[in-house]
Amino acid sequence: MNLQTTRFGEIAVEEEKTIEMKDGGILGFEGLRRFALILHQEDKTPFLWLQSVEDGSIAFVVMNAFVAMPDYSPVIDDETADVLGIEGAQDAVLLAIVTIRTTPLRVTANLKAPIVIHAKRRCAKQVIIDEPDYPIQYDLALRAENSAASAASPILEAVKGITTAIAG
Amino acid sequence: MLILTRKLGESILIGDEIKVTFLEIRGKQVRVGIVAPKHVAVHREEIYEVIREQNVEAAANTGMALHRFPDIWEKLTGGNGKDGRQEDME
Repeated sequence: MNLQTTRFGEIAVEEEKTIEMKDGGILGFEGLRRFALILHQEDKTPFLWLQSVEDGSIAFVVMNAFVAMPDYSPVIDDETADVLGIEGAQDAVLLAIVTIRTTPLRVTANLKAPIVIHAKRRCAKQVIIDEPDYPIQYDLALRAENSAASAASPILEAVKGITTAIAG
Repeated sequence: MLILTRKLGESILIGDEIKVTFLEIRGKQVRVGIVAPKHVAVHREEIYEVIREQNVEAAANTGMALHRFPDIWEKLTGGNGKDGRQEDME
């Protein structure tokens, strides 16, 4: 199917590659039930777009949460695992919603409420993590200072591989 | 707003499926136990609101990020030196 989007113009999305939101979906955007992950293969950044299928004007910048914080280890509650059909860590991909501000540039990732996606079933929901307490605005500039990870690090490449598999 | 008085250990039923039990009072804090079906999300109100607002802000600020991911990422990772992140993007 073809989507009319504000940012990308008309794009072709394969219906079976869209992601279906369960329960409340993304908080504040509960009415949006289907999204497409859009990857820019040519750029070597961890950022992806999560484009609403139903509303062409809504898209989020997202990144794999483990790229934002390599030792990220949130506890996903049983209810969420049930709803999404997640049986083990290998089933799930966690995307953090990224907020980009200019003047001055400040980019933060929401690690408190990642979007949990079942990679094979392509269903997802935003989950509030109670334990441990992660920041809602995790500053990505601090991440760069705290770790030697760069765009070419093995972790990032491996994780991006997983995400690429979902984006198709 | 319906206002009820309950003793410790007593509960309130909301519909057939939601049960709120008042477990403990410590100073100004109350511990509450909640039993609800899986499809009913239970959140502390202030956390829920902050995350909703963060989502709205994230969605509102994406327009200028289009085609600029490499530029933004380079500044974040210190590609232009550590002060790079302090610069305006324009």
